[in-house]
Amino acid sequence: MSKIVTLQQSVMAEDEKFAASIRERNSRIGLLMVNIIGSPGCGKTTLLEKTAMRTGLSMAVIEGDLATDRDAERMARLGVPVVQINTRGGCHLEANIVEKAMESLPLDTLDVLFIENVGNLVCPAEFDLGEDFKVAVLSTPEGADKPLKYPYLFTSSKVVLLTKTDLLPHLTFDMKMFTEDVKRLNPLAHVLHLNAVDGGGIEEWTDFLILRAKEKKAHVR
Amino acid sequence: MHELSLADAIVSALLKMQQEEGWGEVKEVRLRVGALRQVFPEMLSFAFETVTKETSLAGAALVIEEVPLVWRCLDCGSEWKEDSGVCPSCGSFRREALAGTELEIHSVEVGVS
Repeated sequence: MSKIVTLQQSVMAEDEKFAASIRERNSRIGLLMVNIIGSPGCGKTTLLEKTAMRTGLSMAVIEGDLATDRDAERMARLGVPVVQINTRGGCHLEANIVEKAMESLPLDTLDVLFIENVGNLVCPAEFDLGEDFKVAVLSTPEGADKPLKYPYLFTSSKVVLLTKTDLLPHLTFDMKMFTEDVKRLNPLAHVLHLNAVDGGGIEEWTDFLILRAKEKKAHVR
Repeated sequence: MHELSLADAIVSALLKMQQEEGWGEVKEVRLRVGALRQVFPEMLSFAFETVTKETSLAGAALVIEEVPLVWRCLDCGSEWKEDSGVCPSCGSFRREALAGTELEIHSVEVGVS
């Protein structure tokens, strides 16, 4: 004898509870949380360094890496509160780990909390960390075909940052393909072109962030 | 690695329910996985088999139902299937995923005494 039990339960139900609790707390204190996702070496940490130097926002960073605290050291050098999570082999961060890491940060004094996810275009896009939005970072040497090859990340991100645009003269990056593919996957995404060499585009990015952080604070009652 | 985390989450949830609900042997587990979820079914099946070894779920069959993508336009209500952000009927950018984002344990077949 056997019976069928219908569950219709999300596989990630446990972790979704942590994400919901993070989101609820951030709304209460008006803290903007941004989940930064991109390949290893695409410039995620450099982006955060430039952001720390330019915005004047009170920010903190949770760094996810397989190993080392090198990224955390880079942020700490700028006086940014930072927590390093080493996932050992883990390919992404999950909300329960992020919630724990948040406990050691001065959340009430912050405008923005960045999560620098593990370098990877696949798994990090799947796991809700309780963030306000995801940012997909792609560097020009990776190639213009990546949005269609990794559609979930580019479909689910509010912002798409194309970095290392100073290298464009040396590459065969197909800008038309990149622009059209991103538009097709996610027509409402804010697409910004950045380069850390002369700081091109960084102001557009920081203006966007400042605006979002203000909106978030304004919604606190 | 991703599939292994999913298998682990599925197995933990099922073991907990098995104990709470007093289920006997779990014969079959049915999952519904949306096309947008980047799950590789063969790898998930392998991970499930590995994670259930030496647990009371060992030997349970895993059936993965893949759910195709369907978008619906929030302006004109048209539906379309390909992964395009633009409504083919009215050109609107406002859309919602009607199907394709599922990642759920749909049902289980359990032994009763």
